[in-house]
Amino acid sequence: MADPGQHITCQDVVELVTDYLEVALPPDDAALLEQHLNFCEGCVFYVDQMRTTVQTVGRAGGPDVPDDTRQRLLAVFRDWNRS
Amino acid sequence: MTGTGVEEHNVPSPEEADLLVRLRAGDERAFEALVERHHTMMIAVARAYVKTHAAAEEVVQDAWLGVLKGIDRFEARSSLKTWIVRIVVNNARTRAVRDARSVPFSSLASAHEEAAVSPDRFRGPDDSFAGHWTRYPRDWRSLPEEVLLGQETIGAAMRAIHELPDIQQAVISMRDVDGWTGEEVCAALNITPGNQRVLLHRARSRVRAALERHIDG
Repeated sequence: MADPGQHITCQDVVELVTDYLEVALPPDDAALLEQHLNFCEGCVFYVDQMRTTVQTVGRAGGPDVPDDTRQRLLAVFRDWNRS
Repeated sequence: MTGTGVEEHNVPSPEEADLLVRLRAGDERAFEALVERHHTMMIAVARAYVKTHAAAEEVVQDAWLGVLKGIDRFEARSSLKTWIVRIVVNNARTRAVRDARSVPFSSLASAHEEAAVSPDRFRGPDDSFAGHWTRYPRDWRSLPEEVLLGQETIGAAMRAIHELPDIQQAVISMRDVDGWTGEEVCAALNITPGNQRVLLHRARSRVRAALERHIDG
């Protein structure tokens, strides 16, 4: 159990958030972070922003392969296919 | 972390198996589909090892040739993606040695030092609420979904990713764009789970900051 006298700051939260979302925080640290979220709306917003960022990046998809690259690779393929 | 642990859980999907059959039969469309699916990620991986984009392009083109030449020998003990990335990494390492870039992840060290959020967003050490927000970040949940997931916002995210240091770009592309697990990324880039998380953290934090600038103006 985390020491009830211990606390973490918002500035700590923004550095721990990825480990928290990755479920890689030691249990005591995770408990401290959750305690903090219970009273700090700003950090709730921040953690949500990080989750939303992951979602937005996920929607991005990779950029399309440039056409000249595709043509170059298709030429490699045709060479290989002939041999 | 070794590559072998990953492979066991990661055999080809039925879709991949189908692509494989077609590729072995010389189906150009199957090759094109594979390029569409993996090329950008392969460039990102190569960029983590070699100095220039041009070098990465060469490494990846060679890797594609390696994929084609090896496709008959590919035994499907790993996913196609894992196998392809291994070829990219091998080629990229060889190239990095040739170009004398002996420390492929030179940006690892600096990644530890950078703050996720500018210190001036927090109260200073003399304040009784030291380390707490001076002004809360905005509640994005109150925004309409089309703002957060609209093309303009996605474009801002893409630009932010593009501006990241190479290795961070590779990690966030693999994890959040292509949906790799942390273990897969560690195996492909030969980094520790801790380093993978630091890189992911820096990358996501920077992209979040870019989205905040985009959304809040």
